[in-house]
This record gives sequence, structure tokens and C-alpha cells, in this order.
Amino acid sequence: MILSKIPTSGSNIPPLGIPSPGLPTPSSNVALRILRALASLKLTLVLIILLLAGVLIIYYTHTRFVWALAVPFIGFAINLAATVLTNPVFRRQMALLIFHLALIAIAVLIALDWLTYLKGRIEIVEGETFTGQTMSEESGPLHNRRLGKLQLTNENFTVNYTNTDGRLRRTDTRNQVAWVAPDGRSGRSVIGDQEPLLLGGYRFYTTTNKGFAPIFSWRPADGSAEKIGAVHLPSFPRDYLQQKNEWKPPGSSTSVWILLQMEEEIFSRDKPSELRVPDKHKIVVRLNAPQGDNDQRWELKPGDSVPLPDGVLTYQELRKWMGYDVSYNFTLPWLLAASVLAVLSMAWHFWRKFSARPWNPSSGNPNSGNTNAENPGPEHFQQAAADTTADEPGK
Amino acid sequence: MELQILWVALVTYVLAGSLSIIGFVMQRKPERAILALLVLGVVLHTTAIALRWERMGHGPYITMFEALSSGIWNLLLIYTLVYWRIPAIRATAAIIMPILFLMMGWMMMFTPSEVGHKPQVYHTIWLYIHIGFAKVFISTVFIAVGISGIILSRRTEYGAMRFAHLPNDSRLDDLSFRFMAVAMIFQTLMLITGAIWAQDAWGRYWDWDPLETWAFITWLFVIFSLHLRHTYKTKPHTGALLVIGVFIMAFLVFFGVPFVSTDFHQGVGRS
Ligand code: HEM
Repeated sequence: MILSKIPTSGSNIPPLGIPSPGLPTPSSNVALRILRALASLKLTLVLIILLLAGVLIIYYTHTRFVWALAVPFIGFAINLAATVLTNPVFRRQMALLIFHLALIAIAVLIALDWLTYLKGRIEIVEGETFTGQTMSEESGPLHNRRLGKLQLTNENFTVNYTNTDGRLRRTDTRNQVAWVAPDGRSGRSVIGDQEPLLLGGYRFYTTTNKGFAPIFSWRPADGSAEKIGAVHLPSFPRDYLQQKNEWKPPGSSTSVWILLQMEEEIFSRDKPSELRVPDKHKIVVRLNAPQGDNDQRWELKPGDSVPLPDGVLTYQELRKWMGYDVSYNFTLPWLLAASVLAVLSMAWHFWRKFSARPWNPSSGNPNSGNTNAENPGPEHFQQAAADTTADEPGK
Repeated sequence: MELQILWVALVTYVLAGSLSIIGFVMQRKPERAILALLVLGVVLHTTAIALRWERMGHGPYITMFEALSSGIWNLLLIYTLVYWRIPAIRATAAIIMPILFLMMGWMMMFTPSEVGHKPQVYHTIWLYIHIGFAKVFISTVFIAVGISGIILSRRTEYGAMRFAHLPNDSRLDDLSFRFMAVAMIFQTLMLITGAIWAQDAWGRYWDWDPLETWAFITWLFVIFSLHLRHTYKTKPHTGALLVIGVFIMAFLVFFGVPFVSTDFHQGVGRS
């Protein structure tokens, strides 16, 4: 059924090409024509395909190849803005206008997020305080980093496990923290799983990445002050066979291997249990000698010391460390608001459009009715002149 | 016990489906009987799922068996509602039900295993809202598929004859795209609530994990098909093919991606 060729009727809005007030006068016809070209719905289709390609590129190359998304998004913004300016449909259909404006807002907010976000990982030993040093982080070019202005102390945490059918399953994580916000306020909170700590716009989430950390004191041979340090062993229980790490005491040139040997089971085989520091364990320290010659090895209990070439290393105790994800996305609530607005206005638009015509088209002669509002059929479609399909740019 | 109830529900569905196929071939319209059977089947099925939920302590979305069972349940729940309220779509039963038979057959190939554990991130209300929207989305597309099936089958002489009493193709096309529009709204809500859940659970609202990515690609397909139909005033059978394409895509994402990768969303992976 080729009804789209039938000219629009029943509308008092000037067809495209006749500039409406506020738009360029005929002397700037070229600008108008460009604007109309940019407002093409065919361009929208092309942009959707470009976005699709961009998504696939991001997904399969595992990169944050921003341009793959930025180009279609900028395209959408231009295409939408041009359409909002030139398409009379948007002057008549409030819902559709709000919807597409919300889409523009979403595109702008996503761009702002790219410019200002921060995403990082940190690890804090129980009893230790984070003061801004992340393990890794990435951020947008306009991010105003204030992580150094806040403090977060990991006071203690528990991670619970069940053991069903011989498989260990993590259940809940609870972490007590003390904090000082960038503005000087301080307090204590319990966070864990889906409850983050919100501090100066940053969100700190506990993660499943956590483990053990032997604490050492280090007395340099040159007589300078004693220092305390923690060696974070790999994630536990995920890397339970790899509980070792290479380490250089602060200021020392000696590299050692630190290995944790547990002499008891942490998790019960038949009842729920909790991640805890093993009471029975020893720490093995090995000099990391280049050729394997001179291979020295010590087994330490708390309080034991090792004489290294440039100082004395004393094993103090074993503690746990917790890994956190930290993120900053100030656009988040706005993005949510714009998305909700988009959905509501879209629902409103379709509601109006559909309630103008019955859901149950009358049955009967298959060759009679038609659905296109340009040519309202005799019975059902009288109200349909206000329908969205009535105006179509680029026809 | 709950398994027996489930089997009775399936038999009831099969009866409803058979009746609609017989009605189609014989050119009868036993619509009230079909509606009654559908309602009975859905009530029984709901009972079976509720009993299992009660017993297992988690909803029907952990194993493939559960996912298929609840998938069939929500398709039929919404289909039955629409069947009751919008008589214009009743003829689609002859197309919809055989597709569901395939799903039921597929479900029978899995044992209703007893294991299943809900990762910690699943303990949030957003999960249920998110899954609820997803279910309405796919069910609504499914109804559009039924209508599209009629449009396409009418291109054959047999189909044209059997479906002669229905409104013409372009009205069916309009009806089918109404369901697609409703589907798109719920799909958008699904994406938004999914992002809220992800933010809750893993501290990031979007991370291009396989399910997120493919759900977004499906959304783009839906948008594309709506705009294509709008821009080019596509013919009913083109629209029908678009709808079926969207459904296949959505179905693969629903029942494929979560069960190919080991967890629903990759973020759940670490222990
Ligand atoms: C980015 C460039 C876009 C432009 C220029 C654009 C423009 C338009 C226009 C002119 C209409 C027709 C209104 C009418 O005559 O009824 C429309 C309808 C619509 N657009 Fe867009 N749009 C864009 C993107 C999107 C996107 C990304 C979505 C995704 C949700 C979307 C969803 C819709 C919907 C749902 C309708 C209503 C269709 C109908 O009534 O059948 N648009 N759009």
C-alpha cells in the first residue's frame, strides 16, 4: 500500500521548506537546506547502524575506543537538534518533543561523564588508612581529583561462606570503615556488597578481591628509623595456591619472596564459615638471589626476625586486606532522571497515538481499511489526523 | 508434587494449542474454550513455580530448566491477558502455540536439577523489577510475532484462505507495531533498571559485559525497525520480517548469552 505519496492534509502547520518564525529567512536558504538535510530520518537510520558497529567494535576489541561511540553520539545530537528545529511534528506533539529532548540530554550527559569520570582500584589492610594512592585508576580529562583530600580507614571486615555440595560459595561481605570527607566531616559506616560508601562524590565498593597481608617491621642497617610495611598476598580464596609475593623492604635493595603457609583449613567443609586469619601458619621468607645460588630461606612465626644484607626484617602478624572499587560519576542521578523522562514521554506519546484508534480493528473485508493516517479510512480513523504518522520529513 | 502440577499445566497448554490449530484447519473459532484452557494452564503453572520457589528458596532463573519454565510462563501469562482483552489477536494462537510447543520440548530436555545458588548480587529488589520488565518486553514482541506470522502466511494461498476473516495486512501490521512500541518501552525500562542494578551490585552501571552488550544491540535493532518502518513506510510483510528478526535476536540473547557464559552477568564471576 503506497499511501505515503498522498500529500499531507488536515494540518495547519506549514510543510517543511517554508521557514517558520525564528528560522532563517529565504535569503539564508542554503542554511535551511543544510539543516533539513541534517534532520533527515534516513540519517538517523545510518547513525543507528554506526552506533551498532561502534558497540561491536568496543565489545570485540575490548578497548575503550571512545570514537566508535562518540561519532554516532555526536551525530545523534546534531541530527536530533536539526530535527527538533525543523520538524513541525515536534511543535504539535509535546510528548515526542520531550522524548527527543531527553535523548539529547542523555547524549550530553554521557559525554560529560566521559570527561569527568574516575574509576580506580584500591587495597587497604585492616587497620590501615587510605589517603589517595590507588593501585590503578583511569579518569576523564576534566576530572578534578579530590581523592587525596579524603581518608578511609578499613577497621575490619567479614566475608561469609557456605559450603553446599562441596562447593564453597561466598554470601555476604560486611566492612566497618571510618572516614574523613574532603570537607572535614568524619564518621563511621558499615558497607559491603551493594552498599557503597559515598564520600565527596566518590563511591567506594567492597569487592570480592581480598586476601591476607603479613605485616613486617624493617630496621635498616644504616640506623635510620624503623618502618612498618604490609605485603598484600594474592586474592584469597581465589588464588589459594599462589599465596606468595615478591617484595623489597622500604629503602632496601634486597628483594625477597614472602610466602604464607597455612597449617589449618580456613573454611569448614560442612557448615557456614567466615574468612579469617589462620591461627596456625608460618611465613616463609626467601632471598631472591639472581642465579639461585646463595638461596637462603627462613620460616617465621610472629616476632621472629631475619637478618638481611641491609637491615633486619621482623614478622609481626598476619592481617586481611580488602580490595575496593572507587568510582566518580557525577552525572549518574541526572542520567537516571533523563532516562526516566525519556521513557515516560515515550509511553505518553504512544498512549495518545494508540488511544486515537481502537486496538481491535474491525474484521471484515481485507481490502478496505488502511493504517496510514494520511488517508483516513471511513470508520476508524477520523481522529487519526493528529497522529504522528501524519507529517513526514523528506517525502 | 510441583513437577506433576507443571506437567498438567503443560498438557493443558498443549490442549489449548491443539484446539487452536484444529480451529484454524477446520475454520472454527473455539475461542472461549481456548481462553479457558490457557487460564487454567497459567494458574497451574504459576502454582508449580511458586511451590518450587518456596522449596528452593530462589526464583526460577538459575538453571536452564527454570529459565525456560518461567520463560514459557511469562509468555503465556501475557499472551492470555492479551488474548482475553484484544480479540483481534486471537487468531495468532495457531502460530504462537506451536512455537511454545518447541520451547516446552526444549525444556523437557533438561532435568529439573536441584542445585542452584543465588549469588550475593541477586539479593536486591532491582533484580526482580529488571527481570519483570524483560519478561514483559519479550512477551510483547512474541505477540507481534504471532501477528507477523499471519501476515506472512497470508502470502500463501492456504494461509490467505484460512485467515481471510481477519483485518487486512496493513491493519495487522499497525497492530503488530503497537506491540513493538510497547515492547520498546519495556525494553528501555529493562535497560535502565538493569543499569541501576549493576550500579548497586558492582559499582558500575555499564561495563559492556556480554549480556549488557547484546541486550543493547537488541534495543538498537528495535529502534532501527521502528524508525525504518516509520521513515520508509515499509510494507506489512517487511515489517513482519523485522519483527521476527527482533524476536529471534531477543530470544537468543535471553536464552543464549546467560547460559553460554557461566554467569548471568560477567560481573558475578569472581568469588
Ligand atoms: C538521533 C536522531 C533521531 C531523530 C532525528 C529522531 C527523529 C524522529 C522523528 C522525526 C520522529 C517522527 C515523529 C512522528 O512523525 O511521529 C521520531 C519518532 C520516534 N523516534 Fe526518533 N529520532 C532520533 C533518534 C531516536 C532514538 C535514538 C530513539 C530511541 C528510542 C527514537 C525513538 C523514536 C520513537 C519511539 C518515535 C515514535 C515512532 C512512532 O510514533 O511510530 N528516536 N523520531
